[in-house]
Amino acid sequence: MKKGRFASAVAAATLCIAVAGTAIGSAHAEDLKIGALFPLSGPNSAYGDIFASGANLAAQHVNADNMLSGRLTIEYEDSQALPQPAVVGMTKLTEVSQVPYVLSAFTGVSKAISTLAQRSETVAVNGGGVGPDLAKLGPYFWNVIPLANLEVRAMVPYLADQGLKKIALVYVDDPLGQSILDELKATLPDVGGELVDAMSVPTNTQNFSGIAAKVRAANADVVYIASYGAQQVQIAKQLRDNGVEAQFASYSGFSVPEAMKLPEADGLLFTTQAVDYTSSDPVTKRFVTDYEAAHDRMPSAYVANYYNAVRLFALLAHALEEKGEPVTGANLLAERKATKSFDLVGGTVSFQENGTLLAPIQVNRVEKGAPVALTTVDIQ
Amino acid sequence: MLWLQLTFTGLQVGALYALTAAGFSLIFGATRVFHFAHGAAFVLAAYVFYWAETTGLGMAAGIVLAALAAMAFGVAMDRLVYAPIQRHEGSFFTVFVASFGIGIAVQNVLGMVFGRSFVTISTGLSRSVKLMDGVYVSPLAWIAVACAGLFFVALLLFLNRTHVGMALRALADSPELIRAYGLDPRRLSSIAFALGSLLVVPGAVITALGSGLNPTLGNHVMLISLAATIVGGIGSIGGALVAGFILGLAENLALVVFESQWTEAVTFAILFLVILLRPAGLFGRHATR
Repeated sequence: MKKGRFASAVAAATLCIAVAGTAIGSAHAEDLKIGALFPLSGPNSAYGDIFASGANLAAQHVNADNMLSGRLTIEYEDSQALPQPAVVGMTKLTEVSQVPYVLSAFTGVSKAISTLAQRSETVAVNGGGVGPDLAKLGPYFWNVIPLANLEVRAMVPYLADQGLKKIALVYVDDPLGQSILDELKATLPDVGGELVDAMSVPTNTQNFSGIAAKVRAANADVVYIASYGAQQVQIAKQLRDNGVEAQFASYSGFSVPEAMKLPEADGLLFTTQAVDYTSSDPVTKRFVTDYEAAHDRMPSAYVANYYNAVRLFALLAHALEEKGEPVTGANLLAERKATKSFDLVGGTVSFQENGTLLAPIQVNRVEKGAPVALTTVDIQ
Repeated sequence: MLWLQLTFTGLQVGALYALTAAGFSLIFGATRVFHFAHGAAFVLAAYVFYWAETTGLGMAAGIVLAALAAMAFGVAMDRLVYAPIQRHEGSFFTVFVASFGIGIAVQNVLGMVFGRSFVTISTGLSRSVKLMDGVYVSPLAWIAVACAGLFFVALLLFLNRTHVGMALRALADSPELIRAYGLDPRRLSSIAFALGSLLVVPGAVITALGSGLNPTLGNHVMLISLAATIVGGIGSIGGALVAGFILGLAENLALVVFESQWTEAVTFAILFLVILLRPAGLFGRHATR
């Protein structure tokens, strides 16, 4: 009987130790979750699919490499590319899911959630919005994309070199459009250029035949389209249909397949950050190979940005885990500041003091539905 | 020449507004149902046409299928949504909410089937041809104006010269009298929905060919149809048609004076002025009490 009790006690003790051991082990192997606020519905949802394809590939690589002690997952919330739903989604991610790191996109959305990010000490990383104001949203807001002011600063001298100095701007009436207007006003005089007309359109406008008449009347060399989603495609199509023959130019918002495959967009010039997809560095090579295999097309700058955003998290979280520190927003920020450079897609990069990545800008032309790089400009 | 170009553009846009508004006005005038899902009929017809075109069925088949889809949608809304609500004496507001909900559901279903991004049909009909210096007009613009004229004349003849048309006009005034004459108000109501929905088809097809589509397009169409119906006078099909042209012209000619972002505001400023100065609308009948 005693023997039996002893055996039971040993078994129970063994079980307790085993459970405790598992619990201790799981503290290290705890899964890590980050959030993403992308437009998953509405007229800008095409962007959400593209952004998510980059983020998911990065998470897949991080997990395959066992970079972190547990599995990395991404919790998606639908921002609809609108500030109000984005704030609701951000509240859920920070309050309920308590993620330390959130991927953000679109200028209006990013500005709306930045206050919540600061308050909750959650790092928000933008890889899609390009409004220059995004560089001023506080220490917890980072940009892994060069902002529109840099894109305009690269495009304007290129156009001037081609003898295209009279620009008419059609811009969406939001912070992004306004920032491009401001930048064109500031940059054009330096190259002897002129902003001959600037026409703002509300975000929901879908008919541009009247705008086309005004654009033709402006007699510009270049029409700069500063919108996004379905609207920018409608603008390009309707301007061409209504007899506008001037050169089209745009920013990185045009680097989505649905915009480039439009026949009327052929020959359009647009800027993106420069990413050398043919680079032999292992990170870029693996990214390009696996993306092409999964999607049967080359990745765009947006895909690279969100891949980089997730990879950046993994690099920082890995460093924190090595030091035995918890993966919190505050620790991620401290670690980013302490790290001089990161190996991301496109090469080794570093952040400016304001949390924005500095990268060279590339001028591209749409040819037969695909981008062709024309020149790369180093902007300081 | 800018004002002349904008006049042509305004006429094209106005023709589309006019036809869509006439359809809404016909339905509302005959049945007193606030058919908010009229915008959904527009976008459904446009996507059916787009589908027919992209699958190689051709333009004629696309137009027929779009017309059938729009009419079937209108009749289904009447029989399956509005009739049951009215049978249970649901309020005007209940009908409105049901219609609004269906409109949103259609928008989402179309998004799931066709994708939520912008789609377009490449056609030479949308390319503008130079008429004179600074004035370009596309073949679609002429087609839009001609369609508006043809459909309006056909509709007037139908409403004034046929028994069903006259019964439809009477339905708005007194459903009881319709029953006394041995006619079926429910059947007449379905005819009103079928005809009203048919009127969105030219606009839907021209929009698919001209400016392109996305599933949210119906919201703007419905907003303008509603404004044109009120400006023209509720229940007045001619009024809706004229108001559609007025709003299309105003929206475009406003560009001569105002910044482009204010053009939609001009539409609603006109609506506001009409409500203030002539509450029954331009061609509406004043209620006598």
